[in-house]
Amino acid sequence: MRDDDHDHPVGDGADPNGEPIIEARNITKSFGGAVAVDGVGLAVGAGEIHGLVGENGAGKSTLMRVLAGIVTPDHGVVSIDGVDLDAGNTRAALDAGIALVHQELSLVPEMTVAENILLGSTPTTSGFIKVSEQRRIAAEALNEIGVSVDLDEPIVRLSVALRQFVEIARAVARKPRVLILDEPTATLTPAETDYLLDMLQRLADRGLAIIYISHRIPEIFRICHRVTVLRDGKLVDNIAIADTTPDAVVDQMVGRELKIEEGQRREALPGSVVLSAEGIEAHRVNGIDLQVRAGEIVGLGGLVGAGRTELVRSIIGADIRSAGDVTITTDKGEARVRTYRSAVNNGLAYVPEERRTDGLALTMSVSDNVALPNRSELSRAGILSRSKIARRAQELAEVVGLRPPQVQREAGEYSGGNQQKIVLAKWLGRKPAVIVLDEPTRGVDVGAKAEIHRLIKELADNGTAVLVVSSDLPELLELSDLIHVVRDGRIAGTLDGSVADEKSVMSLASGEATVSGNGDPDDLVGSAQ
Amino acid sequence: MTAALELGSGESGDNLLARVRTVLGRRTEGRAVALLAVVAVVTAFLEPVVFTSYPVTLGRIALIGLVALGLTAVILMGELDLSVASTLAVSGVVMASIESLPLGIVAALLVGLMIGAANAFFVVAVGINSFIATLGMLFFLRGSAFVLSNEEPVRLANRDAGIAFGKPFLGPLTPRMLLFIGAFIALQVFVTRVRVGREFYAVGGNREAAYDAGIPVTRRIVTGFMISGFVAAMAGVINTLERTAADPTAGSTVLLASFAAAIVGGVLLTGGRGSIFGTLLGATSLGILQVALTLSGVQVDVQNIVIGLVLLLAVITDPNSVRGVVGSVRSLLQGRSRA
Repeated sequence: MRDDDHDHPVGDGADPNGEPIIEARNITKSFGGAVAVDGVGLAVGAGEIHGLVGENGAGKSTLMRVLAGIVTPDHGVVSIDGVDLDAGNTRAALDAGIALVHQELSLVPEMTVAENILLGSTPTTSGFIKVSEQRRIAAEALNEIGVSVDLDEPIVRLSVALRQFVEIARAVARKPRVLILDEPTATLTPAETDYLLDMLQRLADRGLAIIYISHRIPEIFRICHRVTVLRDGKLVDNIAIADTTPDAVVDQMVGRELKIEEGQRREALPGSVVLSAEGIEAHRVNGIDLQVRAGEIVGLGGLVGAGRTELVRSIIGADIRSAGDVTITTDKGEARVRTYRSAVNNGLAYVPEERRTDGLALTMSVSDNVALPNRSELSRAGILSRSKIARRAQELAEVVGLRPPQVQREAGEYSGGNQQKIVLAKWLGRKPAVIVLDEPTRGVDVGAKAEIHRLIKELADNGTAVLVVSSDLPELLELSDLIHVVRDGRIAGTLDGSVADEKSVMSLASGEATVSGNGDPDDLVGSAQ
Repeated sequence: MTAALELGSGESGDNLLARVRTVLGRRTEGRAVALLAVVAVVTAFLEPVVFTSYPVTLGRIALIGLVALGLTAVILMGELDLSVASTLAVSGVVMASIESLPLGIVAALLVGLMIGAANAFFVVAVGINSFIATLGMLFFLRGSAFVLSNEEPVRLANRDAGIAFGKPFLGPLTPRMLLFIGAFIALQVFVTRVRVGREFYAVGGNREAAYDAGIPVTRRIVTGFMISGFVAAMAGVINTLERTAADPTAGSTVLLASFAAAIVGGVLLTGGRGSIFGTLLGATSLGILQVALTLSGVQVDVQNIVIGLVLLLAVITDPNSVRGVVGSVRSLLQGRSRA
């Protein structure tokens, strides 16, 4: 480990062709109190493809946004050919030849391919668009990356993959010296990915400096010359690909010393299958089977964008599924559920990822929120009973540890952790047969997190079948009896929660390993070609 | 070099039919064309007077359409301008209050530009939602129009000019219609061929991307509101000239009709999609419909019911809405079948 390296520029020997083109020194950026990037340096030379890896939230995207002038760093300098750039100036970065291909597609859906490629730099004469010039430049850029698409097609009519390529064409049209790509293959099929990687190698051969961000370790080892590893905003390593191994890189990405266990793993005594999903296919979900037993916590691990949220939403019927059956079995019998409403009627509770938008009515009081799914039992002759609601809400607030437990206050006045407790309280009132939680502790402080973990375990101990999506590895490991790792809308592997560790989950999630606990090796997982 | 990759582009064929289908598939005016065709055919059979007395019909279309054209510039950016009808009234009153006609016209148009700038100020500098900012402006201006006019119509000093203005000028076309056509051509060219106007689509379609691409989003929004204000003031000037007086209540029906014209024309209220041409089609359909209903002796209230229905029909036949409607109906039925 060279953890103290981050005080120095790390261009030494990074570049096969002499001086680096782009150099970032000692970049630091915090948002609010949280340090996203902490004194990181980076240097990339002509013809070099430089990999940048790290877990979700390691600071990769922030660092790239600093390089592109979108984010102003608190400290540090970015320079091109030794000349410092004006910090946080998008225009200056563009003019200096830095082009960023965003992770979220930044195209305008109703404008044409040609217009999007030249967005912001449309050629004009006295205000009028020079259409032929616009088409010529766009065609040239598409030609350079070897993609053919109708220049007059609006983006909205293109496939996701083509949009990604148009996005790259747009960067290439600016004749950049440095090309930065943030997870460009996240939405591509293996064939499209191959094509893109070959294209990047051709661009590098022509002297571009390329910074390539990816969670997919095999891709890094296939095309990159060097790799920089970030963890918790800090530089962990900057090393030539030839001098490292995929295993070593994953180790460095995960690397945190295992925290002293805040919560203990519980003894699971799973009963019969409550939630069963077979052959689920939906948007970004490609044929998944899974089962959750009474009293069992099943974790869904994987990278952001792997399709976990889409999976759970299609299982519970919140999103349309194109194929697959879901059944919920309770003491009342077995029910096939197609819609979210029928799922809820059969004992399902769902705590969504975006609790601010999906899970809570922020301007309503805590007690009204808690009453929402429990209206019938809290009514008297069809009219909601104020006193019943207040009493029930107060009970539940105490169970979940709401602080302060004032149920007449608006839900929006509470902190993120407390809001999550309110969402849990809302569903606890129903004693659900199944509860599905998506990122239950995102943005929640440590204390509240421990309490939420305790509640989830209690639910399971009381016989609820629990399905949890989490990107937080320690959380996933602490809670889950069984971990399914999802990648590209499939289950890449299944691990026993008691023996899994961060490394085994990450390996499966990033496609670096294909081992699978239940003898179900995945065929397509990218081995380094 | 790697062999080209099949990336699944939209359908693009070699034969003419496929070409035509591709080009049509890119347009947003489909529903407006369909509505116009239905309205025109039905009217031609039931109330052919609408077409034989076309000056009346064209005048009606121009009344609804002019404000709608300016409004479209704002809606394309995903903003709203509810103050257009009040702008029309206030600028008319300002114009009539000034002795000299040319000076009055200039003053009225300047008022329109200033109102647009003020709306934009509240939206981009203060950061108020444009619905609320322009709603405030709506009341403020309507009130101002009454105060400035002492609550009664202000007579135009130069009545002869006004009477001359209402006369056909070129063939059957009155100056109002010529100005309407001029505004249509200018705006159509502006949003399709001029970079600033074209970038309205980027501002409305993906504002983040517009920022990242270095488009001066704030300046575009200011431009849009000023266009809307200017065009509304122009409508006010035309109204005042034709009636030889400025009425502080003028344009009270214009606001909803102009929004309806834009929406029927395929302009997406959240921005980024639609066209000036679509708004023209929308205004034409609604204009013909209104005249036809009036000539058939249908009461104004019933006319409003019909227009409301047309608007709802236009919105729910939006391809995106259709998918949504089908989805919700399906899950509703499934939910029922289980319950």
